[in-house]
Order: sequence, then C-alpha cells, then structure tokens
Amino acid sequence: MAAHLSSGRVNLTALREAGRRELREFLDKCAGSKAIVWDESLTGPFGLIAQYSLLKEHEVEKMFTLKPGRLPQADVKNIIFFVRPKLELMDIITDNVLREDRGRAPQRDFHILFVPRRSLLCEQWLKEQGVLGSFIHREQYSLDLIPFDGDLLSMEAEGAFKECYLESDQTSLYHAAKGLMTLQALYGTIPQIFGKGECARHVANMMIRMKREFPGSQNSIFPVFDTLLLLDRNVDLLTPLATQLTYEGLIDEIYGIQNTYVKLPPEKFAPKKQGDGGKDLPTEPKKLQLNSAEELYAEIRDKNFNAVGSVLSKKAKIISAAFEERHHAKTVGEIKQFVSQLPHMQAARSSLANHTSIAELIKDITTSEDFFDNLTVEQEFMSGIDTDKVNNYIEDCIAQKHPLIKILRLVCLQSVCNSGLKQKVLDHYKKEILQTYGYEHILTLNNLEKAGLLKSQTSGRNNYPTIRKTLRLWMDDVNEQNPNDISYVYSGYAPLSVRLAQLLARPGWRSIEEVLKMLPGPHFEERQQLPTGLQKKRQHGENRVTLVFFLGGVTYAEIAALRFLSQMEDGGTEYVIATTKLINGTSWIKSLMEKLEPAPF
Amino acid sequence: VLPRLVLRRLYPLAIRICEYLRLPEIQGVSRILAHWACYKVQQKDKSDEEVAHAINQKLGDTPGISYSEIAARAYDCGRTELAIKLLEYEPRSGEQVPLLLKMKRSKLALSKAIESGDTDLVYTVVLHLKNELNRGTFFMTLQNQPVALSLYRQFCKHQERETLKDLYNQDDNHQELGNFHVHASYAEKRIEGRVAALQSAQDAYYKAKNEFAAKATEEQVKLLRLQRHLQEELDKPYVDLSLHDTVSTLILDGHHKRAEQLYRDFKIPDKRYWWLKLSALATRGDWEEMEKFSKSKKSPIGYLPFVEISVKHHNRYEAKKYAARVAPEQRVKALLLVG
Repeated sequence: MAAHLSSGRVNLTALREAGRRELREFLDKCAGSKAIVWDESLTGPFGLIAQYSLLKEHEVEKMFTLKPGRLPQADVKNIIFFVRPKLELMDIITDNVLREDRGRAPQRDFHILFVPRRSLLCEQWLKEQGVLGSFIHREQYSLDLIPFDGDLLSMEAEGAFKECYLESDQTSLYHAAKGLMTLQALYGTIPQIFGKGECARHVANMMIRMKREFPGSQNSIFPVFDTLLLLDRNVDLLTPLATQLTYEGLIDEIYGIQNTYVKLPPEKFAPKKQGDGGKDLPTEPKKLQLNSAEELYAEIRDKNFNAVGSVLSKKAKIISAAFEERHHAKTVGEIKQFVSQLPHMQAARSSLANHTSIAELIKDITTSEDFFDNLTVEQEFMSGIDTDKVNNYIEDCIAQKHPLIKILRLVCLQSVCNSGLKQKVLDHYKKEILQTYGYEHILTLNNLEKAGLLKSQTSGRNNYPTIRKTLRLWMDDVNEQNPNDISYVYSGYAPLSVRLAQLLARPGWRSIEEVLKMLPGPHFEERQQLPTGLQKKRQHGENRVTLVFFLGGVTYAEIAALRFLSQMEDGGTEYVIATTKLINGTSWIKSLMEKLEPAPF
Repeated sequence: VLPRLVLRRLYPLAIRICEYLRLPEIQGVSRILAHWACYKVQQKDKSDEEVAHAINQKLGDTPGISYSEIAARAYDCGRTELAIKLLEYEPRSGEQVPLLLKMKRSKLALSKAIESGDTDLVYTVVLHLKNELNRGTFFMTLQNQPVALSLYRQFCKHQERETLKDLYNQDDNHQELGNFHVHASYAEKRIEGRVAALQSAQDAYYKAKNEFAAKATEEQVKLLRLQRHLQEELDKPYVDLSLHDTVSTLILDGHHKRAEQLYRDFKIPDKRYWWLKLSALATRGDWEEMEKFSKSKKSPIGYLPFVEISVKHHNRYEAKKYAARVAPEQRVKALLLVG
C-alpha cells in the first residue's frame, strides 16, 4: 500500500504508520458502531494515511459530509465529527447537534476529532452555544505533515500563504513547527537549521521553544536529517507564476493533481477491445494515482516534457519485445518463467498506455499557438526583456477576454521580474482588467499588491537583473534531453528557491550575501544540541540529507529540480521536500482572489 | 517509604533514596522536588524573590516538574506575585497562559500567548479581554500588540464584520476601510445601497491617497447607474456586467449607437474596442456591419483578426475578403487560414 513511501533515502512509512496508529486508537476509544461526519477538506489528505478499509476495521459503518441541518439517519452508536478547528464549522456542528432527535432510540453518542489540534477557542464557542457537554470524547489528531511520496511531505494547508502573508495569521506556521517536532521525534533531532524569510525565522523560534517544553524527552534516535532549510515562499514569488514544463508539472498545470490523484478526460482511456461494437464511451473522468510506486511514472515525472516522448517509445519497444518472448519460450521452465513475469509486464504495458495517452493530451496543448505565445512572453520576462513597458500580447489577451488567471499570472510575472511596475504601467493594466473582467476584481488586485505580486516599483530600482545574473537564473544553453542544470524544469529558468538551496550546500550562503539582502526577510543559522554519542559520523562518500521546507507552497517543477540535485554525481546532498501546500500558478493565484458576488436584486 | 519521608519533609534523604534505587527522574526525584517546592511556597518568612529563586535553583530544568502546578499552589496561598515569578519558568504556554488569566494578569497572559506562537491561545486571551475590558481599553490594548490585533481582525472578518470598520477607523486605515465598503456594497440588495457604499469607499480611497482605486470606484458608480437605465429601457440584465460585457451585449443586440457612446464615455482604448466589437459582430453573424466597421477607419489591430474570427465562425467567404487587406508580413498566415 505504501511502497511509494519507502523508495527514498528517508523511509517515510514510519510517519504514516504513526498516523494510522493514532487514528486507530481514537476510533477504538469510541467503542461500538460509528458514523463519521467529515469536514470535506480533510477527506483527501486523510486518504493518504488510511483508506476506508482501515476505518471499516474499526466499525465505521457510514460516512457523511458536514453540512447544516439534521444529521442523516444511521443506526450507529457513535457520531464522530472530523473537523478543522474553525468557528464556521463549529456553527454547523451546533446545528447538527441541536437538531438531533433526543427522543429517538437508540441514542447516538457525539464525539469530535479536531485536526490537527484542539482549540480552546472552538470549545469555548461550543460552550456558549450550549452544546459542549454533548460531546463525550473531544480529541485532537495531529495530522500536520502528510507523506505524499518517498521524499515529499505536505500539510495541504490551502490558506497558508494568504494567512501568513496577507492576514498576519501565523497559525499554519505553528502547525508547521509542531509537524517538525513530530518528525524529529521519529527521525531524530535535526542538528542544523538554516532559513530565509520572516516566517522561517518564526518557525525556527517556535521549534527551539517547543524543544524546551519537553526537556525530559531526550531524543535517543540517531538523526536522519543533517540539515533543515526553511524558506519563505515570498523569497521567490517568481517561480510559481511561470508555466511548469516537467511532465508532472504540466499534468498539474492543465488537469490539477489532488492528493496524488488526477482526473483526466475519459475519451483517450476507453478500453480498445475488439468486437465491442456499440459500447458507449465512458463519461466519468478517468482517475489515476500518480506516485513513485509506478516505475514508468517515477522515470518520466521529473523530465522536461520534450524528453518524455523518446522514453515512451523506447519503453514501447522493450515491452513489445518482452511480450514477443512467449514465442521463443520452448521449455516448460521458460514458459513458467514467462508466465511468472506476466503480471509485471501487463502492469508495465497498462502504465505505458496510460502515460502515452496523457502525453498525447498534453502535447495537444503544448503545441498550440496560444501555449507557445504565452510561454514566449514568460521567457522574455524571465530573461529580463522589456519588463518595464506595457506588453502587447497581454493587452491583446485582455482584449479577447482570455481567462483572468492567465492574465494575472502574466502581469504578476512581469511585475516580479521588474521589482514592481512603474505606476503608469500598473494603473494601465489594472484599468484594463477591471473594465474587461469587472469591478468586482478590485479586491483581488489589492490582495496581489499586498502579497508583493503586482505592485508599483517603490524603490525606483530594479533588483531583478542583479539577482538573475548573480544566481544564474536564466541559462541560455539549456539541454532538455540530458540536463546538466536545474534550469531544464522551465526550459531556461532556474527556480530561485532551488538555487538558494543549491548554493547553501555548496559553497554556502556567504558567497551570495549581497543578493540575499535584496530578498525579503532575515537569513539565519541555528544549531540544535544533540545528545552526546549521537553526533553524526558520516561515512566517506555518504550524502548529507537536507529537508527543505517551503512555507507558503511549492511547485512540482521545484520538486523535480531538487530531485535533480539529489541525483547529481558528487552532489553531496540528498533532498527531502516539505511544504504547507503543493501549488501551481493557477491554484496559487486563485487562493488570493477575493470572491465578490452581488446579492440578487 | 518515600511518601512518608516526604510528609515529614525529609527531602534530601528521600532524594538520596531515589538515586540509590535508580528510579527514573520523573517518578522519583521530580515528584519529591515538586512536593518540596509546594511546601516552600507556603513559607511566609521569605520574600517572593527569594523563594522563586531558591525553587528555580533546586529544580532547574528537571523533567517532569510542573512549574504551573507549583505556581497554582502559591496563588492558592495568596502569594500572587510569587506565582507569577514561578510561571516565568513554565515553558508550556498552554499551562502558563490560562493560569495567568485566572490570576487576572490578562495583559501578561496576552504577551506570553503571542510569544508562544500558538494562535489559538492568543484568540482565547483576546476574547477573554474583550469580555473583561470596556471597548476603548480593549482596542487600546490590541493596538499595542499587532499580532493580537491581526488575529482579532481575522475573527471579526468572519464573525463581526461591523467591528472591523471600527478597528480600521481607529487605525486611520483608509485603504482597508475602502475595501470594507466595497465588500459591503455587494451585500446591498438595491442599487441605491450599492452606490452609497461605493461612494463611501471612494471617499476612503481618496483619503488613503489611492487615486486609482478612487477613480475606478467612481467609474463603477457611473457604470451601475447607466446599467440600471439600460436594464429598464431594454428589459435585459445589464447590472453588474463588466464594462466589456456591457458593450458586448449592446452590440450583440444591435444597439450600436449606445455601444459607441460607452466607448467614448469610458474612454475605452481603440484596440480593445475593435477586438470587442469584432467578436460581438461575428457572434451575431452581422457580416455586413462588420464590413462597414472595418472600413470606418484603419484598423488599430490590423486585419488578421478579421480573418481569424471569420474562419472561427466558418465563414470562408468573409475571411477571403479580409485576407487581401492583411499587412504583408502576416499575409501568409492569413492565406493559410483561409485555405
């Protein structure tokens, strides 16, 4: 079930197991048959820890979505609410509880499981509504960092960026710190912490503070991680805005990957069976799980899309040849061997078919004129060309009312690559946007400004060229097929965040002090004491393990870039990635949009 | 044996025995020290300073000691100041803060909660303060603690929107006040209400020196009023469409003069207007009008768009007409499209 979690340098199965254990314990506490009422946003992430089968083993008979009104009929002894500690949800729960028919027999017991932690605020709220006493068990399920793959952890905290950078609400950072403490309890104290950004500083401070809270629990586990690198998303606002060009990145950009699952248009996945005339094409989207447990996917996911085709055709030849073997099998032994390989080969063939279809779907889009024009403008901005004038392509797209998010990504990209736009240029874009898409987007524009994505050039200086040149962010001679640098993930642009990680490992941040000062927030280093005897003695040739934590979101392209660094010969460091949320430019901008719908007249 | 020794206050002896028995700290030494400390706080002859210091000296960071428990004991004996000093040593803010609230040291509780980073704790203290203090003092307290203020704002956004206005007023935060009024305007059910809220927003934006937002809001008020007239006259929904969609809908329905009027009144840039009109006319299938339009003056967007949109609407005949007028550098593309 969790083969994908043990594939990396750090075995993350232990983390998942701890999560499953905690869940089981709670379920058993509420003895008897149960129904779970779900906060919808939790179902996806939970699925990565435990499937319905585990819940069934612990007498969960029904599952419902949390909504106002009366709870559905269900002959169970216990009703358990799985919710985040949000006041809006407490109101719904109150409604559910108050409408419960106390006369019905048998009576149902109520419990709450707060994810990731209990909240005094919520409990006080419930108390004031008069329902706190109705709950027998009120517990917390500390699901902070969820393992997505052998080298990837995410909190799936959707609002984290907006809360931290726009609303000065650092709740998600508190949870991040708690998540890191859990990680250290399982994998050992991390001896070195580096960071860049205000949020990074805050998380490090909380980690140090939290360590003091439990001085008795001396960690006797041998440290698995050598270094923790905390990075604020706003240190690199550029990367998520650009269109990702890796296979996995494009799948996410076009179709959206949710908790390792993607839903695809079904037409290309209809089974091609002969003699099935008249069978209708499926109408349900095709749902696929994407992780490293699938051999082929692990091989192509992080490649630049232009390099995927050749891998697929090579694979097709290998698989064909393997199936041909059956004609060459002569002895019983050979036949037996062929048959034993069959399931693996069939899985490989099915995997190849799926990814060939996906690649075709993506190719239709990447070869379109629109995609090409858009990418050209992005690359112009990233290489520093004409970032200070109103761009014709963007104007034309607005005039033809292309999707708003596409426009917002482009103007924000231009703004970031220019360290802010001249007032006239900014006002022009804003006017075009409001007049075309509607005045209701004025608050969204305000949010983007607050986040630093679309703002006026306050200092009068454009720092981007210096940053670009010093950190070598734009590489003209990129090799998409056999890359030698991380810039292949955007066919020329090296993600700023990953460059920072790369330079930290070698030769260290002292070499880029000046540039670091141009980026927002402090940078720092902290050391955590290890109990004597656990000082890590690295074997000769053994790589360091660095955990990079993106506070505010990370893209699949950045993950690919870090994996590239991990695989480099003489790289010296292997990376594990953690984040508050997996994002792409579209989902990121969407999270900053202010929805204003008029009341019906 | 140990409990009896403790009862007789023979602490050093008890500790020695624990060590001899090799009891883990938490079970042995810590409990004894805790007992000793609780006894010590009752000693009225020593000053708070001395007692706190003495206790900290002996206990240090020994695991399993709950400073908050000892502090609670001190508070029960009426030694509040001692209790506060002892609480300084309590690293778990979840224990520290509620006790401080109980001892009516709310402001200190707030600082400690903020220090911990536990926003839930901060919310709890803030709401406690809200009930305890009068409004003025409450707002003043928040002013001094920006983290608490931000969190309280978040709370108000979801639960008490009207208070937000007061908070922004107090801060003289005109930009946010403007945003507040814009947000409120969308909840208004009648146009007059909308316009009134937007005008408040406009004033706030001017005070915030945000000229762009003020002008955009002014323009929106103008547009809304116009849209209401159009709605009444033409019996079709117009209110809340963007300016672009308003003009587009007018053209779709053949109201070309009115569309031109908006183009002039709102100073829509030529290029945008031409794209808009072209698209609307094609959707309407009004090729005659499109031709007239294309000849009205030199197209600021060239003639390739005319070709493209004709092809998109499966009208090769029209597309051919425009292909001839396309600029030389784009001629090939045009001819390819036409086929």
